Amino acid sequence: MGYRARRVVAMTTTNEHTTATEDTTEYVHEHTPRLAWAQHAPEVFKAMIKLDAAARKGLDPVIYELVKIRASQINRCALCLDMHTKDALAAGESVERIVQLSAWEESQHFYTAKEVAAIELTEAVTVLTDGFVPDEVYERAAAHFDEAELTQLIAAITVINAWNRFGVSTRQVPGHYKPGDIK
Amino acid sequence: MTARTTYLDKGVVSAMSALSAAAKRGLGDPALAELVMMRASQLNACAFCLDMHAEIALENGESPKRIALLNAWEEAGELFGERERAALALTEAVTVLTEGFVPDEVYERAAAHFDEAGLAHLIGVITVINSWNRLMVSRRIEPGGTFS
Repeated sequence: MGYRARRVVAMTTTNEHTTATEDTTEYVHEHTPRLAWAQHAPEVFKAMIKLDAAARKGLDPVIYELVKIRASQINRCALCLDMHTKDALAAGESVERIVQLSAWEESQHFYTAKEVAAIELTEAVTVLTDGFVPDEVYERAAAHFDEAELTQLIAAITVINAWNRFGVSTRQVPGHYKPGDIK
Repeated sequence: MTARTTYLDKGVVSAMSALSAAAKRGLGDPALAELVMMRASQLNACAFCLDMHAEIALENGESPKRIALLNAWEEAGELFGERERAALALTEAVTVLTEGFVPDEVYERAAAHFDEAGLAHLIGVITVINSWNRLMVSRRIEPGGTFS
């Protein structure tokens, strides 16, 4: 069996329990990863974990997860989306803010000005091949983050872009992550 | 042109250096690593990284002609070997990720030239230079080295 995060097709409520009826829908077969890269490059994997820990220091944890999700949407990293949406929800993030994130320009009132500046910088640093990081995007972020936090934000954007590259190129499989699996 | 900021947390710098060293060591092909790092830096338009890696490549004995033609490696005839071409194609796909995944044919072509550990470390080197590119371009770090 592949996909585990089944839709809830029916709920039965008795006095004591609420039970979800098992979903019997036939889903598309789950793919296998191209390469178990962490097993074949364990030192690289360990170094990535350390880099991730170094990059999140001093950065607002709510903004950190929004950045992780937005970059993973742009890079279309399924495993990273699975992981970071679950981590964000477990940390108390709202479903609404996660769902609206890919259309944040039209739903800015869901976010603080500081979060919007961070999301905008995330897009510019992620889609680097479209040409640099525009001055106005950088300046807007610099107006909300001091130098130390801004450079940690840049580091965090860089690190999720790195995880996205490992995840997408080796075709890692989403659906099995549970919050707290990787610390 | 001046840098937007030259600040970067020491912990991040040392973690990046360790990651970089682990990926390059695992690939075990310094000449190829430099080609990959220059090609990704071209795509990401990182002046600092191009300056640095062109210089390292030249110091390591890379030919100026191959560096000059790297941007057009597909049309450069015999100048680049099949293994290098497979690695460069993978570099482009993993770097320009937003245009849609890493095509099967690109991945398979690389897998034909590298064993699993080699491929994992090659992806590691591509990812590492993409990370340096982001750290340098977003802070607008100036190219500073002198060309040998």
